[in-house]
Amino acid sequence: MPNPYFTLKFRPNVALVSTVRRFVEEFFAEFLDDPDSTSRIALATHELLENAVKYASDEETVLAIEIFSGADGRRSVSIQTTNRAKPENIARVRALVDEMNQADPLAFYQTVMRRSLSVPVGSSGLGIARIRAECEMSVELKVDDGVVTLLVTAATEAAR
Amino acid sequence: MQTLNFPPVHEGDLRIEATPQGSAIAVKFAGTADMRAQKPLDSVLPALHAEITRLGVGEVIVDFFSLEFMNSSCFKSFLTWVGTVQALAPERQYRLRFLSNASVHWQRRSLQALRCFATELIKIES
Repeated sequence: MPNPYFTLKFRPNVALVSTVRRFVEEFFAEFLDDPDSTSRIALATHELLENAVKYASDEETVLAIEIFSGADGRRSVSIQTTNRAKPENIARVRALVDEMNQADPLAFYQTVMRRSLSVPVGSSGLGIARIRAECEMSVELKVDDGVVTLLVTAATEAAR
Repeated sequence: MQTLNFPPVHEGDLRIEATPQGSAIAVKFAGTADMRAQKPLDSVLPALHAEITRLGVGEVIVDFFSLEFMNSSCFKSFLTWVGTVQALAPERQYRLRFLSNASVHWQRRSLQALRCFATELIKIES
């Protein structure tokens, strides 16, 4: 069976993020038997898209989600958002991802939770830390000439 | 208990309603707490906290059963609320008992994370 995938290129806004989250959850529920997996995919998608709404410097964001088989035969999901961003926002997310990827996911999440109490909303990195800890996803950042791609990946159960 | 003075809140897709329940206050959150709800939550939760402390209530039942989704910004609003309770003198602190919906899977993970933030104050039931 071909890998299930979903790609969307759009201009996200606050209302559309929830609409897309619900659609993504329903879409991948058609292919996954585990509601927890579809919930994790939906949550990560929502957090990534809200980051795009906040930080994208132009109107276009591309969302791509795919369920694929790894070299070990395990089914995994990848979720990727791509958008243009300002240099200061790129630097901030790069520093956050670098710090996060050197730490235990849950411990880092607790650290960011405490840190978030003393910084303005939207700048603590809580969303990305939540993806890594709660959704149990690896987080990778790629930057190419002002275009940022956040790629999150996790194992999931076998697709039907 | 004195009369609870907390009118229902309806902001976008998020509804919040508080009712007395014996010696506790039950606060029901329903709908979706996304970016549209974050600013209202940041004013509603402190107002709720002020009312709870005015009444001297020892326990708040936080009902998430009908809460479909909560984003990280709204999660931060709850972190701030919990932090405010933690900052009270011990004799004025109140417990938070979260009622979760087992079929809404993000709740298990998010509430467990929240509980780790304040294990002495938070209990989770499903």
